[in-house]
Amino acid sequence: MSSTNSNRQPSSGRLWRVIAMILACALVAAACGNDDDPGDVSVPAAPEVGDSSSEPAGDSDGMAEDSSTPAPTAEPEPELSGTIGFIKGPHSAMEVEFNDQIIADFNAQVAPDVEVEFSTYDWPVHVAELTTLFASGSPPDVQYLVDLIYPAFAEQGVLHDMTDLVNDPDWAEERANISPFAWDLAEQQGGTWGVPVLGAVYNIFINETLLEEAGLLDSWDDSYESMLAAAEALTTDDVFGFGARTSAADFAWWDWYPYIHNAGGDVFSDDWTECGLVGQDVVDAMQFLIDIHTAGVTPAIGSVDNQGLFDLFAAGRIAILHHETPNIVALNENPPDFEWTVAAAPPGPQGHTVMGNFGILSIAEASDNKEAAWEFIKHWASAPQVGRFAEQVSLQVVRTDILDDLFAGNPAMQKVQSEMVPRVQGLQPSPHIIEALQAAWPVVEDAFRGNQTGEEAIAGMCEAIDGVLAG
Amino acid sequence: MTLSPEEHRRLAKRYRRRTTLTAYAFLGPNLVAFAVFLLIPVVWLLVSTFRTGGVLGPAEFVGLDNWRDTFSDPLARTSIRNTVVYSAMAIPTVFIIAMILALALNAIPRGGAPIRVALYLPTLQPAVVAAFIFTFVLHPDFGVINYAVRWLGGDPINFLGDTTLALPTIAGIEVWRGTGFWTMMFLAGLTALPGELYHAAELDGAGAIRRFIRLTLPLLRPTFYFAVIFATIVNLQLFDSVFALTDGGPVNSTVSVSLYIYRSLFLFGDIGFGATLSFLLVITVLLLTGLQTYLLRDRK
Repeated sequence: MSSTNSNRQPSSGRLWRVIAMILACALVAAACGNDDDPGDVSVPAAPEVGDSSSEPAGDSDGMAEDSSTPAPTAEPEPELSGTIGFIKGPHSAMEVEFNDQIIADFNAQVAPDVEVEFSTYDWPVHVAELTTLFASGSPPDVQYLVDLIYPAFAEQGVLHDMTDLVNDPDWAEERANISPFAWDLAEQQGGTWGVPVLGAVYNIFINETLLEEAGLLDSWDDSYESMLAAAEALTTDDVFGFGARTSAADFAWWDWYPYIHNAGGDVFSDDWTECGLVGQDVVDAMQFLIDIHTAGVTPAIGSVDNQGLFDLFAAGRIAILHHETPNIVALNENPPDFEWTVAAAPPGPQGHTVMGNFGILSIAEASDNKEAAWEFIKHWASAPQVGRFAEQVSLQVVRTDILDDLFAGNPAMQKVQSEMVPRVQGLQPSPHIIEALQAAWPVVEDAFRGNQTGEEAIAGMCEAIDGVLAG
Repeated sequence: MTLSPEEHRRLAKRYRRRTTLTAYAFLGPNLVAFAVFLLIPVVWLLVSTFRTGGVLGPAEFVGLDNWRDTFSDPLARTSIRNTVVYSAMAIPTVFIIAMILALALNAIPRGGAPIRVALYLPTLQPAVVAAFIFTFVLHPDFGVINYAVRWLGGDPINFLGDTTLALPTIAGIEVWRGTGFWTMMFLAGLTALPGELYHAAELDGAGAIRRFIRLTLPLLRPTFYFAVIFATIVNLQLFDSVFALTDGGPVNSTVSVSLYIYRSLFLFGDIGFGATLSFLLVITVLLLTGLQTYLLRDRK
C-alpha cells in the first residue's frame, strides 16, 4: 500500500500526460464513432422496416436512406442527440413491445443518437399521473394525450404550442394526410397542441346469430324504437337484449354521446359558455335511454363493469352491446361460438353520428429537447408506424392515405374504419369537459335507475354543467 | 465534600440543561420530520385555501372564494355526509365484533394462536386485494353470496350498484379488514388487566356481565381512548376501497371526502378547492381528537 503511494508521487507529471493522451484519444474516437453508430443500430433494424412497409417511414427528410440514396438537395441538418422521454397509456398488453418497434425504427431511420425512454401511465389514474409529472418540472418530452384531458393541460401552459412545427412546409404533405376533423380536435385555445394519431370509436357489437334467429338482423337498428323492440324480443332468462356502460368509472358517457349528438345536442353550447343539452329532441333521446335501461333488457344498472359487459357479450349473454373497438382483437383471437359484427347506434332525428375520441402526440413545454421530440412525433405519426400500431391494437387512424391497406383480413375493423370513422362526432375539447361530464353523470346514473324522466335528467345535467362553467 | 449552595445551584442547573439538551437531541429528528412532513404542509395547505392554481401554473390569490365554493358545493356536502355515515356504521360495528372476539379469545386457555392468525389475515390484505376478493363475493352474477341467494330462491342483490346498499357494503368490507386488528388490540388490553381484581369480584358474587361492565370496560379506558381516536382518523380518510370498488358511485352514494379531494386536485386541477376540503378534513380530525380526548379523559 505504501509503496504504491511512494511510486505515484515522483511520476505524477508523467501520469497526467498519459491521462491527457488517453482523453484526447477518447475524444477522437468518440468523434469518429458517430459514423459507426448509425450502422451499429440500423443494421438489424432496417430489414424489419423494409418488411413491414415498402416505403420508408414516410419522412420527407430522407434520413432513413442515408446509406443508399441521400437527397441531393437536402441541407445538412444538425445531428439529433440526447434522451427524450415518451409516455403513453397502454392500448394493449404488448404496448411496450409495440413501441419498442417504433423506437427501434426511429433510431434506425431518423435519429440514431437519440435515446427514447418509453413509459406508460395507467388509464384509470392517468390525469393524476400526468399532473404530477408536469408539476415535477421534468415531464417526459412527448406525451400521448386524449382529447378528453389535453385541453386542461394546454390551458395551464404545460404543453408546447406546436403551430409552427405542424405548419412547417417540409411537413405539409404529411399534415394534409391527417383528417381535418382530427386537426380541429388538436387546434384549440389559439394553438396546436399535438399531432393527431389514433382514435377509438365506440361501436356496437351485435350477436348476429341471435338477431338472425329472431328475424331482426336487418331491422334492429332502423330507429331507437326498433332497437328497444329488438332488445325486448331478444331478452330471455339467459340473455340480455342490450348492454351499455352506466358508471363514470367506465367512462359511460361514450355510449350516451351518439344519441345526444343525433338529437343535435352536446354538453356545451356552440360557444362553450353554457349547457348545450337543449331542445325536445335531446329530451326525447334521454328518455329513450332511460326507457331502454328500465325495460328489463339490461343487466342491473351498476352490477356489471366495463370488462364484465364485454365478457357477457363474448359468452353470448348480451345481444346488442355498446363497447370499444380494441375488443375486436379479443373476439378475433378467441372467436365466440356465434356470428358477430360491429354497428353504429341507430340514426336520430338530427343525425347519424358515431362517438369517438382521439389521441394526440404533444410536446411538454418543459422539454429541453423539443427538436428530437418533434422528430420522434413525426416518425410515430408516419404512415408505416401509426398504421402498424393501429393494426396491432385495433384502434382507428386519422390518416386518410393508408386506409386501403389497413386492417386487411379484419372485416370488423375495416367496417369501423371505413363506415364509422367518417361519421365520428367527437367531444368538445374544452378544458372543463371532463369536470362537466363527471359532474353531470350521476344524474344520468340516477335516471337510468328509473328515478327521473328525460326532462328532469336533462335539467339536472344542465344544472351541473352550468355549475362547472360558472367555476 | 459538601457543596456550597451556590455551587449546588450551578451543578443542578448544568444537569437540567444537559438533560434538556439530551431530550431535544433525541426529539430532534422527530421534530424535524414533524415540521417537514406535517406542520409546513398544513400551513401551506392553509395558504392554498386562499389561492387558486399553483401546481401547474402560477398561484393567484382569490380570498375566501374557495371557502364559499366548498360550503355551497352540493357534492362536498354529500361527501362529508357519506364519510360521517360510513364512520358511524363502521366504527361501532368493528368495535363490537372485535370486543366479542377478544373476550372469546381471552377465555381460551390454550390453542388460540391459529384463530388469532386467521382473524388477523384480512387486516394484512391491501384494499385493492380486498376489493378483488369481494368482487367474487358480492357480484350479482357470480358472487358467492348471490349464488346462495339464488339457490335459496331469492333475487340477486346488487350490493355495489344499489345506491342504498353501496355505502353499507363498503363499510362491511372495511369492518372485515379491520376486525383482526381491533381484536388483537382489545385482546392485548384484556390480557394486561390485573387478574386479582376479577378474582375478588368473583368472590363478591359479581357475574360475568357485571364484571365486564364494572371492571373490564373502565379498565380498558386507555385502550378505548386510543381505539376511538385512531379509528376515527383512519375512517374519515376513507379512500382506497371506494376508489377500487365504486369510484364514488352509484349516483355519488359512496363519494368520500378524500375521494372528492383527490378528484378536485388531480382530475379537475382545482387546487384551491381541493386544498380547502383537505384543510377542513384536517381541522375536523383535530377537533374530533380534542373532543374525544376531553370526553375520555381520566376523571379522578
